[in-house]
Amino acid sequence: MTAIPIERDTPLPRPRTRALWLILPAAALLTVFLLVPYLNIILISLRPTVSGAAWGEGYTLANYARVFGDDYFMGVLADTVWLGLKTTLICLVLGYPVAFHLARTTSRWKGLLYVFVLSPLLVGLVVRSFGWLILLSGNGVINQLLRDWGLIQMPIALMNNTLGVTIALVHVFLPFMILPLIGTIQSIDPNLALAARSLGANGRTVFRRVWLPLSWPGIQAGCILVFVLTLSAYVTPVMLGGPQVKTMSVLVVQALVDNFRWPLGAALALVLAGTGALAVWLFVRAGRPIMRGME
Amino acid sequence: MTLARWGASLFLWAVYAFLLAPIVLVVVLSLNAGELLAFPPQGLSLRWYGALFENEGFMRAMRTSLLVASFATTASLLIGTAAALFVVRHAGRQRERLRMLLMTPLMLPEILTAIALLFFLYATGIGTRTVTGLLIGHTLITLPYVFMNVAASLYNFDRSIEQAARSLGAGPLTVFRRITLPLIKPGLITGALFAFIISFDLFNLSLLLKGVGMTTLPLQLFDYLRWDFDPTAAAVSSVSVLMTLIVVLIIDRVVGLRSIRFG
Repeated sequence: MTAIPIERDTPLPRPRTRALWLILPAAALLTVFLLVPYLNIILISLRPTVSGAAWGEGYTLANYARVFGDDYFMGVLADTVWLGLKTTLICLVLGYPVAFHLARTTSRWKGLLYVFVLSPLLVGLVVRSFGWLILLSGNGVINQLLRDWGLIQMPIALMNNTLGVTIALVHVFLPFMILPLIGTIQSIDPNLALAARSLGANGRTVFRRVWLPLSWPGIQAGCILVFVLTLSAYVTPVMLGGPQVKTMSVLVVQALVDNFRWPLGAALALVLAGTGALAVWLFVRAGRPIMRGME
Repeated sequence: MTLARWGASLFLWAVYAFLLAPIVLVVVLSLNAGELLAFPPQGLSLRWYGALFENEGFMRAMRTSLLVASFATTASLLIGTAAALFVVRHAGRQRERLRMLLMTPLMLPEILTAIALLFFLYATGIGTRTVTGLLIGHTLITLPYVFMNVAASLYNFDRSIEQAARSLGAGPLTVFRRITLPLIKPGLITGALFAFIISFDLFNLSLLLKGVGMTTLPLQLFDYLRWDFDPTAAAVSSVSVLMTLIVVLIIDRVVGLRSIRFG
């Protein structure tokens, strides 16, 4: 007897092509307004930057040469990547215990705690950054409290520097770390940890050999999300960094909106995206041994 | 041991407080009776909400934001639901690949998508002077939210109910209207609410794609904060916080917060 291949979930033997119209609008939208524009932006980054027009005639690598040859651009790129790494790491350290707690707790407050994590995500970026502005500014709430308690005489600089930007970015992107982690940790069978315990492993070993490798997919997803989002963040660095802190996105918007140098802006944005993709790739590669159980 | 437990719970509460503090603070300060954004507030009053409703700039921006968010939600709902139906039920072996493709707008950096669209609209002559750019961009970004929520409700769908209806003589349209639609309603509602909120808060994309002389609420607030630092800004922010809260409550009622999906 030969096995007849049966496709699951398609019990009615209808030709699939008849349903194609369902996907057509989405396919058209994504092709025309995402795929084509992305191909187009690559072409434009290869156009000469000229004054008086959006871009010049012919093709050149001058914009990329300009970006890679300029110490200022490279410095800002390095700062941006560093900011991304810092933010991601802090989010992981703060987010993992919260995700672990939310995934495992049986408390009746679970729903409310979930709202605490989810709501910040749904409140606009500008609003949240504004909240930090009120907290961190020179006459802000934190400085005022510290002064009232007599801990400081002069206000300390909590914003218009990288510190303020980092604090606000961690706040803005922390839910993106916690949510994927909750999903992964929930799907881990707690009996595995118990089994390891009964076989003589101590708490630290159980974490390192059971929880960490099994929750790695969530850690990876959360880290990638936070890192990529931080790299392209614009609002928060501008609002809390002031004129001192420059990130790549700020330079990109400057080149595009303020200086009307589109091809240069396109090259800057693509170099930033390429750097992000490279970092993500390295991170995924480095994580493979952990996935295999940290032998 | 108990000390470690205390430490752990202190840490957790500190993180929760960190997540909520700036948002709660903004709402509290919007109710300030005084002239300044000062803490603690000098008495309670709704005067800054009055100031907000008399501020023509904010009101116009809010109308634009509501219009764009409504359009993007409707468009995403139609396009995303159809796509989810295809991907879950008819895509066969291409299912995973198609699912990833439909999620791409979410995974690409928003600012790069915004630039790419800006250049494209300029190059094709669709134009960057009208609201069209905003409508297209917002639909593109909100599509994955509708898609993933509707697809999730379709995965847990018992299709034998549909077949039963068919065998009892119902036509395909009747089956869709009377069986499929009611059963995927939670996914539709969650997806739509998410799409609306995400669109309402979108910044980078709106910054680059807004037409001449046009502005959305987040952009207007951002501009306002450059020059003014008074409780009107807090009142605007609180309106957006309130909206979020309502949405979260509705989602919790309809499907339960824990079933929300990210990616």
